[in-house]
Order: sequence, then C-alpha cells, then structure tokens
Amino acid sequence: MHKFVLTGMLWITAIAAEAQYPGYALLQNASSFQAQFAAASQKTNTVKSDFVQEKTLSLLAEKIVSKGKFWFKKENAVRMEYTQPFQYLMIINGSNVYIKDNQKENKISTKSNKLFRQINTIMIDCVNGKALQSSDFKVRIFEGKTTFMAELSPVNKNLKTLFSNINMVIEKKDYAVSRIEMHEPSGDGTSIHFVNRQFNIPLADALFAVR
Amino acid sequence: MRCLLYVSCWLICAACSSSYKKLQRTEADPLCISAFRPAFSRALYHAQVNVTGKHLSGLLIIKAMPDSSIRMVFSSEAGFKFFDFEFDRTGFKVHYIYSQMNKKAVIKTLRKDFELLLMQHLNVPRSYTLKSDGNYYHVFPDGRDYYYYITDSTCTNLLRMERGSRKKRVVEAIMHPGNDGMPDTIGIKHHNFNFDIGLKRLRDDTER
Repeated sequence: MHKFVLTGMLWITAIAAEAQYPGYALLQNASSFQAQFAAASQKTNTVKSDFVQEKTLSLLAEKIVSKGKFWFKKENAVRMEYTQPFQYLMIINGSNVYIKDNQKENKISTKSNKLFRQINTIMIDCVNGKALQSSDFKVRIFEGKTTFMAELSPVNKNLKTLFSNINMVIEKKDYAVSRIEMHEPSGDGTSIHFVNRQFNIPLADALFAVR
Repeated sequence: MRCLLYVSCWLICAACSSSYKKLQRTEADPLCISAFRPAFSRALYHAQVNVTGKHLSGLLIIKAMPDSSIRMVFSSEAGFKFFDFEFDRTGFKVHYIYSQMNKKAVIKTLRKDFELLLMQHLNVPRSYTLKSDGNYYHVFPDGRDYYYYITDSTCTNLLRMERGSRKKRVVEAIMHPGNDGMPDTIGIKHHNFNFDIGLKRLRDDTER
C-alpha cells in the first residue's frame, strides 16, 4: 500500500515538474549530474562572454532588454559591462563591489551592505557552480534535450522575499551555465543569457580591480 | 562672537523666509497648465538618485495601463526591483517596495514628487494663479500641500514645478519635453533635505 502511495506521489511530482518546465523532466537521482557539473566547474578558471539581460515586468507586459560584456575569473571576480541601452560597469571582487554609471563611481564593501552581499554571493555562486551546494537553497535538477535546469529555491526568509526561485540553465555538451533566471515572488524576473562564451582564456587581474 | 550670532540668526531667518510671500493674485486661468501634462504611454529612463550623500542609479519605466492608471517601476541596472507604484486619478497604490525602502516617509515623499510631475492635482476645486516679475504661479492646494506650476505670462512655457506649503517651497522639479509628449529629461530637487532625482530617457529596442 505504502509503495503505491509513494509511486503515486513521485508520479504526481514528475507531472507537476513537467508542467512547470515544458521540455524538462525532474531528475530523481542527480548525483551523476552533480559530479559532472562539479568537475566542469573545477576546470573553469575564466569565462569571457557577451550577455543579454531581460527584465520582465509581468503585470506591465514589459521587457527591458540590456546588453553587455561579462568576465569571470576564479575564485570570485566578476566584471559586467552594460553597453546598451545605457553604460554601466559593475565589478565584484571578493567582498568589494565597484560601480560606475554615467555620473559617479562607487565602491561598496559588501561586508556593510546586506543587499549587495546577497546579490554578490548569488551571482558568483551561480557562475562558479557553488550555488548548487549552497545551504541557502533547496536544489532540484531537471533534464531537457540539450540542457539541464537547476532550480534553486531559497530556504531562508530574507532570500524568499527577493526570489521565488533562481534557475540555472546548464549546457549538456560542456556543463557550462548558459542562462541564469531570477524569478521574483511578484511574477517579475530577470534573466541573463550568456552568448559567445570563451573559457579559460587569460584575463588580466586589472579587469577586476576595485580601486 | 556677537557677530557670528547675528549672522547665524540672519541665515536662519533667511532660510525660513517665505518663497511665495511677494506673489500677487491674478485672474489668469490656472488650468492652462494642463497643456503641459506629460502624456506617458511607455518611457524608459536612466535614473540617478542622490540622497543624503549616497548615490544610486537604476532604470525607471513609466507606463500607461489599459485602465488609464500609470505604473512606475524602478529597478537597478542589474534587474533588482526597488519599487512598483501605481497612480490613477483617484489614488495611489504600492504594488511592491524593497523592504529597506519600505518606510512611510520614503513612500510619501516619492508619491508626492511623482504626483507633481504627473500633474495629479489639477482637479482640486480651489486652484488660483499668482504672479511675480512676469512669472505666473498656478497653484493647486491639496490639504497642507500646495502644488505650483510656474509659467511665463502667456502660459506658453512651463518654467518649473514646485511643491511646498502656502509660504515655503519644499521641492522643485523641471521637465524637458520630448517630441512625443513624454519628457526627455526630468529633474527633482528637495530643498528641505539632500535628495535629488535625475531622469534621462533611454531609447531601447521597444521604442526603436
């Protein structure tokens, strides 16, 4: 009897997951994926890429699209340079964040700024793959035809107010993250799609300098 | 020391002095300023905010909804949402505000600033016009707040907008119109504390 109930529950869960992410099926055992992903992350020392960011405002039926260039260097340095439709530079290096907009340059220590610390950690952990091991999230892995999707649901109350879940789309061919989607409880969200990715090319430390 | 005291008293008095004291009542139609009311359909702005020594930038989208309300959503460049406000003819609604900004005074200040720009108070019953040195002040009282729209004598140019009391200016705003009825740039400056907002219109893919 218990077996039937358990099988039924698993079946319902699988159907619900399929309905949530069309083209994806929930992986009941993700250990092989986790191992492959960890190995690929381990080998990735730098990433250089273009990105397209889409901010979706569901009730306004609006999308704000911005574009730019992205650099990552192990362990925890990220540079995002927005070039369209505005100029904006953000460098995250360890616990420091440097921001330059049209008007001003700003250096923020995430030690004293909770919001930046949270966003900073999520951004870095999504790129270097550590988010899948983070105790801040409950992780489910879905498998599609050419990609996996890691669904990260926040566990702590603070993160839950900011995100309903964060999804990472991971390419099957190289286990690299090609898209990060941040879904807000309101139904709005932001996705960052990485294109023209180059891995393990030399990147100067000066790119990530927070002066 | 006595001199310093005298200068301090004078500065305090000057700061307290009336912004609108010398204005005189005139018969002009205050509703002439409705011609300058911005006709938002959808506009995206790059926003620069300076508040008490801190600087913040982001994107502000202003959009007219099918029910004729106006929605304003402010987010960081990286997509983090700070607030989502709705304005309509009868009221104001906060759909979302980031927890650290969720303070009555912050919401009230932003609401009144944007209501000044949207010219939400033109329907009040006791509007009137004052004049001084060739400038006309079209006044729309709403409770203890007075909304002032300052034009030239023929009401062909909107010079600036202000909010304050009957005597004293609190906020000043300027708006440079674009060629589609929506402002290209907007500036808001508070005179009672260090807070200013600058908005510059962006033409993104949606508008091209």
